[in-house]
Amino acid sequence: MAAPIRCDGVETDKVCDMNCQEFWNTMPELAREAEDGDGEHVRECAQCAALLNRQRTLASGLRRLAADWRPVEAPARVEARLTAAFLGQAGLTVLGPAVRWWVPVATWAAATAAVLALAMFLARDRQVVPAHRTASNRVQLAVVEPPADLEMLGDFSDANDDFIPLPNAARIEPNEDLNLVRVEVPRSAMIALGYSVSEDRASEPVEAEVVLGADGMARAVRFLE
Amino acid sequence: MIEKPMTPNHPETDDELLMRMRSGDEQAFMALYRRRQAAIYRFVLHMSGSATVAEDVTQEVFLALIREECGFDPQRGTLSGYLFGIARKLVLRHVERGRPDVALETDLESSALPEMMVADDPLADLIDREGIEALRRSVLALPRRYREVVVLCDLEEVDYGEAALVLGCPIGTVRSRLHRARGLLLEKLSQRWQHRSGAMALKPIRCAI
Repeated sequence: MAAPIRCDGVETDKVCDMNCQEFWNTMPELAREAEDGDGEHVRECAQCAALLNRQRTLASGLRRLAADWRPVEAPARVEARLTAAFLGQAGLTVLGPAVRWWVPVATWAAATAAVLALAMFLARDRQVVPAHRTASNRVQLAVVEPPADLEMLGDFSDANDDFIPLPNAARIEPNEDLNLVRVEVPRSAMIALGYSVSEDRASEPVEAEVVLGADGMARAVRFLE
Repeated sequence: MIEKPMTPNHPETDDELLMRMRSGDEQAFMALYRRRQAAIYRFVLHMSGSATVAEDVTQEVFLALIREECGFDPQRGTLSGYLFGIARKLVLRHVERGRPDVALETDLESSALPEMMVADDPLADLIDREGIEALRRSVLALPRRYREVVVLCDLEEVDYGEAALVLGCPIGTVRSRLHRARGLLLEKLSQRWQHRSGAMALKPIRCAI
């Protein structure tokens, strides 16, 4: 006959099929259904039964913690930034650098819509946090009356680092908290702001920085090249 | 991968949305993002304790998906597991650059058996708000390798197989870490209960092998 198993200093004349270490080695608290051997040990060992009960209370607490946190999600501005990034990436993917398109009037209108849609996406979240990057001082220089005539003649493909106020955008006020977002758009989007873009480069990507005002609305843009 | 049967009213699977997204479908991307972003955000938030890090990492995870930087292979696992895997690597980078892991005060390796206190159940207050908040702080205080299994399996309800893929370890390791993590949480909560009640420290009693 096997020697009796001591548990908590109490001898028992019963032989457990499983001792306590073996019982916990099976990680019973993780099992969805109790194994037959587990049930027998728990019936015979009050300490392990109590501990298993506490483990189940803990598991219940963790489920409640999970439920409490379920509504937590990323801020809306993350979706806005990612959508802008996706649109820029999709533009590159869809048109492709090897495809040469003649840019019809409809594409110019689409480019304008893309820039304005970008501004709307970026403006969806009005809780603008302090900017990780501050707008260049040159933004101040761009605070001028919006040109009455937005048609800028000539090729602005040379480097022009100044921000261009967006059509119908509010003026940038002195000491206004600004945020700066970098996006990638098809070069055809520059047409909407008066740039002349050659047909064979219309589908190429270009990086742009968009200045957002304290109200989350886009105020100005500059193309980085 | 187990594919759900196609029915007219059945929502598209992640793989289907991803295929549409790769062809430039913005709606597919938004649907995929909205379906998966919250779990990723919460995972990073629980791992880092920082909403700023959670926001940054969530954005980076989906940027990586947009740019196909890490090469998701549906034969190797689910998209959800793939996203968690990227998030895990990124949050580790953030955490290692910041504060070191916060460990429990107890000696983690000394006890082979869970400690048992002869006292009233210190977990009774897990039903109230304060108790749940204490549990959350205890989870945040776990060493990283235990915290991530608790966050994945207990808080985000990821099954053990998927968690094993995310963590790059066998399923058995996931279970044993979870087992150990829960033991550590019980110890932490018991210490908190003792501190609150002002009771004398109770000598732990081991159930003899």
